[in-house]
Amino acid sequence: MNKQVDLKGKRVIASKHVKLGQKNRKGQTYTDVNDIFYKAEQTPNFLTGSEVIKEAIRRASVGTSVAYPITPQSEAAALIGELYAEDYLDEYFRGESEFAVMGQCAGASFGGHRVFTTTAGPGTLRAMENFPMWAGSRLPIQVCVTCRGINSPLSIQPDTLEMHYLLETGMLVWHAETAQDLYDYILKGFIVAEQPDVHVPIAVCCDGFFVTHTKDTVDLSPEELCLTPYNPYESPVTCMDMEIAPYRMMRDPFVMKSNYINYSTHASWQQEIKAAVERSRKHTIALLDGLIDEHNSDREILIVTSGTAVSQSREAIRLLEEEGIKVGLVKIKTVRPFPYEEIKRATKHAKHIFVPEFNVAGWMAREIKSTIPDNERVYCGPHVAGGMTMPSEVIVEEIKTHLGIKTAQNSR
Amino acid sequence: MSKEKIQICEDLADIMPPEYHKLVESATFGNQDRGWKDIGSSTELIEQHSLCAGCPESIAFRYILASLPAPEDTVFVGSTGCTSLVFPHVAVHNIHSLFGNQNAIASGLKRTLKSRFPDVEKDVVVLAGDGATVDIGLDMTMQSWFRQEKFTTICFDNELYANTGGQESGLMQKGFVAKMAPKGKNFEKVRLPEIAREAGCAYVALLTVSKPNRVEQVIKNAVLIAREVGPTFVQLYTPCILEIGKQSMEGLDEMKDSESIGGRFVQKEYISDEAQKLLDSIKIETKERKKAAKEAAKKPVNA
Amino acid sequence: MSHYEVKAGPEAFLPPAAATMGNILPDPGEAHIGGKIVPEEEAYEHAARKILGAKVPTIFPGPLVLWKWNDHVAAKAKAIRELANEVPMRLIPMADYRPKYPKIDAAVEINPNHPNLTIWHNKIDVCIFIGVHCHQANLALKMIRASTNCYTMAMCAMAGHEDACLSFRDADLEKIQRLTAAVKKLKAEGVEVQANSFTQFQMDRSGFVVEPVN
Repeated sequence: MNKQVDLKGKRVIASKHVKLGQKNRKGQTYTDVNDIFYKAEQTPNFLTGSEVIKEAIRRASVGTSVAYPITPQSEAAALIGELYAEDYLDEYFRGESEFAVMGQCAGASFGGHRVFTTTAGPGTLRAMENFPMWAGSRLPIQVCVTCRGINSPLSIQPDTLEMHYLLETGMLVWHAETAQDLYDYILKGFIVAEQPDVHVPIAVCCDGFFVTHTKDTVDLSPEELCLTPYNPYESPVTCMDMEIAPYRMMRDPFVMKSNYINYSTHASWQQEIKAAVERSRKHTIALLDGLIDEHNSDREILIVTSGTAVSQSREAIRLLEEEGIKVGLVKIKTVRPFPYEEIKRATKHAKHIFVPEFNVAGWMAREIKSTIPDNERVYCGPHVAGGMTMPSEVIVEEIKTHLGIKTAQNSR
Repeated sequence: MSKEKIQICEDLADIMPPEYHKLVESATFGNQDRGWKDIGSSTELIEQHSLCAGCPESIAFRYILASLPAPEDTVFVGSTGCTSLVFPHVAVHNIHSLFGNQNAIASGLKRTLKSRFPDVEKDVVVLAGDGATVDIGLDMTMQSWFRQEKFTTICFDNELYANTGGQESGLMQKGFVAKMAPKGKNFEKVRLPEIAREAGCAYVALLTVSKPNRVEQVIKNAVLIAREVGPTFVQLYTPCILEIGKQSMEGLDEMKDSESIGGRFVQKEYISDEAQKLLDSIKIETKERKKAAKEAAKKPVNA
Repeated sequence: MSHYEVKAGPEAFLPPAAATMGNILPDPGEAHIGGKIVPEEEAYEHAARKILGAKVPTIFPGPLVLWKWNDHVAAKAKAIRELANEVPMRLIPMADYRPKYPKIDAAVEINPNHPNLTIWHNKIDVCIFIGVHCHQANLALKMIRASTNCYTMAMCAMAGHEDACLSFRDADLEKIQRLTAAVKKLKAEGVEVQANSFTQFQMDRSGFVVEPVN
């Protein structure tokens, strides 16, 4: 199952769009995504994650964006409003709740626009009923999830628990480690999600505050280049604009068991959504250069994780290296589709696999455990939650303790 | 979509089942003067459906579809309930997504169609039951009015949750004993027309579907005003005969009773000044167009 | 690495979607046969042989080629007719995707919510989908694989279908014509048509002009 797609060297067929090479009303040139990233010169900029979201959307040929305030995505959502005021977007407004916003996004997508929105934590959960609906309706909407805590008592602090809730929605779920990832994933995410064989929504997740509110150096593609616009007729389903057959068309009719439906219609529909997520592998591997990144993954001790936990792990690995303990790293870029084969292969030689996470559940460790043979090799931790930082020293300490190496702390 | 585009490819036309030939040949797409009188003489936009025999909702559906000014450029948004049994068989694109979010969907849809087709009037019409409009969806219903979203909201008011088996709804009358109101509903029927007016609707109408000519006029007013002025709202009494213990043939009497003096559904309309001006100008235009057509018809063909 | 072969069913109560078994779609210039990626050229001949070897080869034209919603589709419809006439193959339309009420007439239409009924009724052993939206095509192809022994093919205008036993991609007018040419070529080489004789039904607004005779 889930044969690994290896397509290195092949370019994603991003666009045979009629508008390729033409200019939009802001004077930007519609450009193939490969050319934007791999041909054009990238210029370093010192920006916050929220500003990076704005710069990505400036170049994304978005039709509609709907906003609603919730920390830590409010600034990004407001900055997109500035882009609308500058005429980069066709439509932008503030909705009344995340549930409504995701409905408004769905309406815009049903009507044929490229759609972008942002949310976080409690907003993600309030919106939740919409996400499987988006996927089931094959709406390639992009939501940027700036992860924060979701449970009582209220917390606005970073926590990746909400990503766990997104895993079985039928959406693509990508996890950015840095602001650079965020920029790349937002632009590339549209292209992958809108492929006619994929055509499902995408959640581009990042860790709130750690990524959204800190400044980082990010290489940006030229402002004069933008993605080719979404083509609503290059779609596996009918655009709801009365411009395409069939006309007697409801999206989506109830296909529950009844006397005029096959017993497996609904199940087949759900399988097709899962299949669509699988199909994204081919395009994602080409655009993100694989679903995982590996550094010394042939080592016996490995850290496998995603998001800013990767950044903290890099420093932990450096600290351990100073003491002569060699640890490899696997960074997971896409959580859906999950890189089953890649992780199985990358962890083949590992005797100890550590999965640091910014949530109390340890869902990433569970995913990995369900993927690889001899899963007692997986150590679920360290965990922090509810806005705690994860100092690299904590990762070092926990790895050493688990390996039976004495430290000042564990021998106290 | 122009009417000319709703055609079957000639090379494959002879394998198409009869109802599609009829839809192309004798539906009233593109006919400016379409209305309820076309029912019976032209192909209706609604195919067979699975509503209960004698359900007033089914006749309401037929009147509404016959009265749309431009079905070839209309997209419906529905919600969960009995209406969603009919929508798959309606010959205009229509969306069901979730229960209660219909006005949110319509907001995004209308703005997108406006932006994608700046030179074509794409009408968006919401049609949902009272549970979807007033209870679970009231926030989104009202917020779309506050925001002055330019589409029509139609509520099929049957004063209860019909599809789930007759539970209390906000539009149910006070005192009515229903599922989930075992001692009788203990608050008044929500005054949605007044709420709609105060929330910013340019046109509001409350009526039953006992008289097709009235339904036609109201639907035309609502759609045309929504194009030019702002949000419009139509509340139609479509009693659930099954859940109020009536027979198939008693739906019409139930509606007539409720619209007689002192009843819950005596017809009423609120029209904003701007909307009234538009209606007046449409009236004059229509009159002149019809007069011109009449005169053109009088002229000898070879003149 | 196991290779999941997409072949005619009946396969299972609920077969998996081929994509979740690791099957990938062809790139431009390619097609797939049974899940194996092949040069497109190879697929024309394979498809033509399947069609010619079938007892009841059938084309299922979908809404995208039945309705004249843009200027290009009329030419596609013509090419489909030519393909059907060349073999000859039956033509059974999928006019839309709604769960049709009260029921379809399985002799003359196919519906993505229960495509098996049409396959069973007409004893179709080889079929080709053209002009069906990908989402609905995949549902139908999978259900056909679940419960019928029909060999399925897809002439897809976009990225193709792993859930068909054979799939083309980027299918335009020319590709439909090339399939017709492949059929012609095999016939010229002496490959005989195995199809049962039949009368293609014809309908207008009042019903049958010519009733289907199997």
